Amino acid sequence: MPAVAPTPASAPPPPDYSNGALAVRLLKLTWQYKYLCLQVLFLQLLLLTLGLMGLNLTGVGIDYVRHAVDATVAAPNWPVWLPAPALDAPVMRGLWILAGAILILALMRSVLNYAYSVGLALLTQHRLVVELRARVYDKLQRLSFRFFDENATGSIINRCTSDAQNVRAFVDQVVIQIFIMLISLTVYVIYMVNISPALTLACLATMPLLWIRSVHFARQIRPAYVENRELMDQLVLSFTESIEGIGTIKGFALERQAAARFDVDNRRVAAQRHEIFRAVSLYSPTMDMLTQIGMIVLLGYGGWMAMEGEIPLGAGLVVFAGLLQQFSSQINTIATVADSIQLALTSARRVFEVLDAPIEVESPPDAQPLGKVRGEVTFENVSFSYKAEHAALAEVSFQVKPGELIAIAGATGSGKSVLMSLIPRFYDPGVGRVLLDGRDLRTLPLEELRRSIGLVFQENFLFSDTVAANIAFGNPDATPAQIERAAQIAAADKFIRELPQGYETMLGPLGANLSGGQRQRLAIARALLLDPAILLLDDPTAAVDPGTEHEIIDALERAVQGRTTFIVAHRLSTLRRANRILVLERGRLVQQGNHRELMEQPGPYRRAINIQGLDFESRQLLQNTRAPWSVRPSGAPIDPPTSDMPPLEGGAP
Amino acid sequence: MSFDLEWLRELFHRPPKPHPTVRHEYSLARGAPRGDRDEDDPHELSRTLNLAILRRLFRYTKPYAKKRNRLFVLVTIRSMQLPLLAWGVGAIIRGPVAGHNLHGLEWALIAYFALACFTDWTLYYRQLYALELGENVVRDLRMYLLEHLLTLPLSYFHRTKVGRVISRMTSDIEAVRLGVQNFLFVGLVQCGQMLSACVLMAMYSWKLFLVVLLTAPPAWALDRYFRGRLSHATRMMQESFSRVTASLAETVAGIRVTQSFGREAVNAGIFRRLAHDHSLYNLNFARQSGLFIPLLEVNSQFFISTVLLAGGYCAFHPQWNMPAGDLIVFFFLANQFFGPITVLGNQFAQALTALAGAERLFRMLDTPPEWQDTPDAQPLPPLQGRVEFRQVNFGYDPARPVLHNFSFVAEPGQTIALVGHTGSGKTSIINLLAKFYQAQSGEILFDGHEIKGVTSFSLRKQMGLVLQQSFLFTGTVADNIRLPRPTATDEEVMAVLRRLDCLDLIAALPQGLQTKVGEKGRGLSAGQQQLVCFARAMLADPRILILDEATSAIDTMTEARLQSALNRLLEGRTSFVVAHRLSTIRNASQVLVLDHGRLIERGTHNELLAQGGVYAGLYRQFASIAEGEEGPQP
Repeated sequence: MPAVAPTPASAPPPPDYSNGALAVRLLKLTWQYKYLCLQVLFLQLLLLTLGLMGLNLTGVGIDYVRHAVDATVAAPNWPVWLPAPALDAPVMRGLWILAGAILILALMRSVLNYAYSVGLALLTQHRLVVELRARVYDKLQRLSFRFFDENATGSIINRCTSDAQNVRAFVDQVVIQIFIMLISLTVYVIYMVNISPALTLACLATMPLLWIRSVHFARQIRPAYVENRELMDQLVLSFTESIEGIGTIKGFALERQAAARFDVDNRRVAAQRHEIFRAVSLYSPTMDMLTQIGMIVLLGYGGWMAMEGEIPLGAGLVVFAGLLQQFSSQINTIATVADSIQLALTSARRVFEVLDAPIEVESPPDAQPLGKVRGEVTFENVSFSYKAEHAALAEVSFQVKPGELIAIAGATGSGKSVLMSLIPRFYDPGVGRVLLDGRDLRTLPLEELRRSIGLVFQENFLFSDTVAANIAFGNPDATPAQIERAAQIAAADKFIRELPQGYETMLGPLGANLSGGQRQRLAIARALLLDPAILLLDDPTAAVDPGTEHEIIDALERAVQGRTTFIVAHRLSTLRRANRILVLERGRLVQQGNHRELMEQPGPYRRAINIQGLDFESRQLLQNTRAPWSVRPSGAPIDPPTSDMPPLEGGAP
Repeated sequence: MSFDLEWLRELFHRPPKPHPTVRHEYSLARGAPRGDRDEDDPHELSRTLNLAILRRLFRYTKPYAKKRNRLFVLVTIRSMQLPLLAWGVGAIIRGPVAGHNLHGLEWALIAYFALACFTDWTLYYRQLYALELGENVVRDLRMYLLEHLLTLPLSYFHRTKVGRVISRMTSDIEAVRLGVQNFLFVGLVQCGQMLSACVLMAMYSWKLFLVVLLTAPPAWALDRYFRGRLSHATRMMQESFSRVTASLAETVAGIRVTQSFGREAVNAGIFRRLAHDHSLYNLNFARQSGLFIPLLEVNSQFFISTVLLAGGYCAFHPQWNMPAGDLIVFFFLANQFFGPITVLGNQFAQALTALAGAERLFRMLDTPPEWQDTPDAQPLPPLQGRVEFRQVNFGYDPARPVLHNFSFVAEPGQTIALVGHTGSGKTSIINLLAKFYQAQSGEILFDGHEIKGVTSFSLRKQMGLVLQQSFLFTGTVADNIRLPRPTATDEEVMAVLRRLDCLDLIAALPQGLQTKVGEKGRGLSAGQQQLVCFARAMLADPRILILDEATSAIDTMTEARLQSALNRLLEGRTSFVVAHRLSTIRNASQVLVLDHGRLIERGTHNELLAQGGVYAGLYRQFASIAEGEEGPQP
């Protein structure tokens, strides 16, 4: 199938995939979920406040005990929202109140925490990822084959799986995480400034350094990770080839070399990682050291303030120390956020590439129903090109009457497959029109059009499902009788019945294995299920060995009855059977006519038939071996059929 | 503006029970349930920490014992340092600060600083060694895996999906790496940290420590309860994800069929259900862990309030002899005790993934080869090239024999053409010749040496194979040709091509011999790939040549060129050809006609035609298709 996309005349400007543009698009995506995001953030705000209140209560508790034991210690700052114990109450009363309040706060926090994590999962996994995946998948299916030819299967699958997940990470690990950091820093700072602005400033002095170190680290480590991924890809490739090429490796006794090659790649990955490890291992100790310096400042300066009685020991110093620890863990996440941004941007690009890819062919909105198709196909001055400079088809015109068998001949790259793919409108011609029963394809409903055309490729994909379900692919509601009828026409009924579970036999990697000829016949049955008026056969015997080729030809003989059929063919027997042969050369229709007519005129067709060395050889062989047959008195002489138009299968009389 | 309150309802839902019809349906054709016979069925994998696997992983650290032992020392030191630092903060506040001792505070801060430096130094090496050890172990595992796979007979690869083998190398080994690097040693430090926090607390006040112990059973019970649920949730999540991936893979592979039948909408519906289904499992996982971690936190807050109560009570009653300042120390140590529980809880899922990966990996490493060269197998001496099959019986499944009492002799230098329908046993003969499989009975002799008595390596060194699907490795064309003899010079490679009379075809490539070959031969046409394989076999200069002729659509001109190359390749070697080309069959010294695993006719092309038997019929059929029963016009 074609490898490059046509460039429509009015091509939209290519989408902008700069980091800035991608970030804006991701933010817009996040905005669609703004209420859920706000709810999640609100929960986080509540959680932080409650946590702080609990921490404060612990500090108050320490001060309360110290004051009760030693009257010279200042009385605790009892929180205004908490009922204070009466002055004459026993000392334990105050502690009971505090302990109870801590527990209640903790319980509230755990409920909220639960709500937070479920809410976040709901937002990301349940909404965003499902929506994103469905959109990517839906789009993927409508893209032209070009996309599937250009991209490896693994890469396409990743766009719908891990890339969609990474894009999601932009919402919860970047946007939400940044907001959480901002909120928590604000809440903490407000609390700390309330106790002592000077001490807050002193403690937070090292924070900018932490920030710088984090950002620097993320920047330093990223190229190393990129390189590592490349080396890893190389390693996996080396491994994959050792497995896929195991026949070659074993056949040439190359096990040692394969192992040696893998060893080199393996060591390269490990060596490069060891370099990363040094940077990674150095990161957290330096971050921790900066935090510890903040702690020493707090203990020195704050300790002195506590001695002077400027701040309470518990609710001041102890709580400060606790907050500082939480602070530094927040800062630590900066490196993670930076990493997530990078990952999300890379993946976003791959996801948006799919979502932005133009759908080249769409059903017209005002399409009239197709009705009964007679099968008359007309090409009117059709030109088509993948790239502007190179025409894949140029000014092709012909008309095919219903029920005709048309063979298409030509060298590789002459435009045979392109011509075929214009009929089910996999592409639209750049110039000219393709008509079905006199109506331009572009005015017809796309799905109905394609369903009235049966297609058989060189190699046909069968789904891992039952034989019956594979035949009924085009119409899942087909009755068993319909399925069997299609199989009978395709000469597949007999071998299907011999399978272990007949029509219910599973196919695919886990099921029965079919021969090439059997697979082809199933594909023919699948194409016939909808009883299409038009049949397109793209060299259906190319991938089967000659021993089984006749099975397919048998099947085709019946399949083409009463249908307009286009067949790409090399075999003379097929070419001779065709009502008409279209000969293509570099995208141009250079000759048309039946075999006999074409052989009578000079041109590429006759030249091609004549230079088929194999045919020459085998013809000589036929002539050589005819003699011994004819002289054998008892053996029945086998005479080649002499009729002008032998049956397709051509076999024994 | 309407707030979306769906999540509020979701909060108190029971774990989702995905719709039964959705659960196993991921095939795109009609959505029939698909039998899951994958040996990776996660149900078979153990659900808890499997000590045998851990022990085995530990054994792989043996070559790095020095690093590993240092690491354990560092882990031990580090598990004491963190609680000590926390204790230090508490002790400084409780001691010099509470006691208004400015001078003492200075000294305490200096000591604290020194301890902090030491801690970070330890951290650096702890991390570095853990990362290096993990990578080294994993590097070895990767190598072991490949080496093991290379010892397995070909039948294993015919049975096993490539994707599964590759995911051992990628996802499973990576999971093991992360497990060793992140979980194992971090986990050990966390455990040690809890332990030393306990010791410090007990030293301070064993009475308050008893209160801590009170909170341990609920934490343990919570952990135990959620451990099972989380690992179950993880497994369900992974399973549903593999259904999503499988469905996607089919979509991509079958896109042409889908588009030509206009089935996009049906498929999109199936996929949306699968993706939605997967999100329910994700949600279930979030719900479980969202319950687990907050509950652990409640537990630690419960501890703090209890300490406050008990500590306060002691402080108020002097007969208990506990100063109020001890409360401060306990408050800081509590973090050291409860922090690790949360971290360990978080890491548990990752540890399970790592162990599951290790288990799958070990299972593959432990796959015994179905058969191996016998221990007394001798290297095969240089061959003349006489090959004999004596009464050979063979079946891939012994219950369903493919070859029956098969006997023939190939004299040195003969070309043997194998002819017959698909499934008649041609490929089986090739598989037996190359010792890819072993016959159930009968003898295969090379110059009189029984195949079972010779090493596979020495046999295949004298054998050249050109398989139906020519496999090219990434690299240059020259690299691919000199595969059997990497030391061959460019001149030798060119000489080989010249002998094949195909040098011009390769020279016509963009960079000639140095043209890059992409994955799966991308960049070369089918004919060029076939030619490279011929050259490869020619360079190996084997005594015995095995050739499974490709049938793919190589255009007629190239086919004619390859035919002459092929004839040169066959010269002077004992060759076995699964023949599809008429000329090969015609030139063969012997044609063996197979039918359902039996040798039904044997002789030269002309003899067999003269017999007018099965071969003559086959040949006529074949010739008529190729020739169209009519010669070209002049």
